[in-house]
Amino acid sequence: MALIDLIREDVVRVPLAAGSKEGIIRELIQTLAAAGKVSDPEAAARAVLDREAKGSTGLEEGVAVPHGKTPAVQSLAIAVGVAPRGVDFAALDGKPSHLFFLILAPPDQSGPHIEALAEIARLCRSKAFCRTLISSRDPKEVVELFQD
Amino acid sequence: MTKPIRRILAYVDGTEQSVTAAQYAIVLAKSLGAELYALYVINTRALSELVKAHIFLDSEQEEYHRDLDEDAERYLNHVRNLARSKGIAVTAERSSGAVHQEILAKVREHGIDLLVLGEISQIRSRRDELYNETERAMRSVSCSVLIAKNEERIAELFDELD
Repeated sequence: MALIDLIREDVVRVPLAAGSKEGIIRELIQTLAAAGKVSDPEAAARAVLDREAKGSTGLEEGVAVPHGKTPAVQSLAIAVGVAPRGVDFAALDGKPSHLFFLILAPPDQSGPHIEALAEIARLCRSKAFCRTLISSRDPKEVVELFQD
Repeated sequence: MTKPIRRILAYVDGTEQSVTAAQYAIVLAKSLGAELYALYVINTRALSELVKAHIFLDSEQEEYHRDLDEDAERYLNHVRNLARSKGIAVTAERSSGAVHQEILAKVREHGIDLLVLGEISQIRSRRDELYNETERAMRSVSCSVLIAKNEERIAELFDELD
C-alpha cells in the first residue's frame, strides 16, 4: 500500500483546532476514528503519546511525524493535519510545528509502517513541498498536492 | 521451444496485496511448471534513514528490526504453507538492505524470468518521493514484471488449483 493511497480527504484536518501536542495527537486520531480506521482511539492515543514520551517526533522546518504501533488499527493508517499558527511540539529546532503526519500501524505490519515513514522522510526533504502543504486551505487542496 | 517462464519470484512485504501476489505466483508456477522463489526484504536502509531523519530513536530502530525479522519469518512461512498446500516447492529467502536493490540482486542471482508484485497505487503522482519500493523494483528489474490484481479472481484461481 503506497502512502499516496492512504491520504484521502477524510483523514486530513485543515486547520487543526488543538493548540497543544497532546491535543493535536488526539484530534488526528479522532479524525482517523471518524473515518472508520481506528477502533479504540484511547488505546491509539496512548501508543503515540508513549512514543512521544521517549523523544519528540517534531522535526525541523515545522514538520512532526507522531507514530505508534497499536492493535486499534487493522492496517496502516495515516492522518495529515495542518496548524497554520503552529504548535509547540518540542521540535528539534525549537520552532513551532505546522504540518503533522500521524501514523498508526498494527504490531504485525512493521514493513508497511516503515516504508510509509520513509516516504514521509523523503517528502519532508522538500522544504518547498512542506511549505505549500502548510499553506493549504482545506483537505481537498492537501490531497491534490500529494497527487500533483 | 524453451519454456518462456522457468523461474518466478514473488516479493512479499507484509501487505495483503503481496500475499495475493504470492498466491498468483503459486498458480502460475504450478500451471507453467516453473520454479518458485519468494523474497522478503528487511528494509534496513529505511530504518537507517528514519534514524538519520530523527523520526526513529536508536532504540526504536532495534525494536523495529526485531519486528521485521519476525514479520519476515511469519510471511515467508505463510507462503511456504500456501505453496505446500498446492504441492509446490518454494525457495523462501529473506535479505536485508534497500528493498528494490535486494529484489534486483535476487532476480540476477536466481536468473528469474518473472517477478510477481502486489498491486501498486492507481494514483499517478509526478513526485519522485511517492514512488514506493515496489514501484522502484518494477521500474528497475531486468526481467518481466507481473502486477497481481483482482484479489477475488486470484483467490478463486488459487482455490481451484489441485
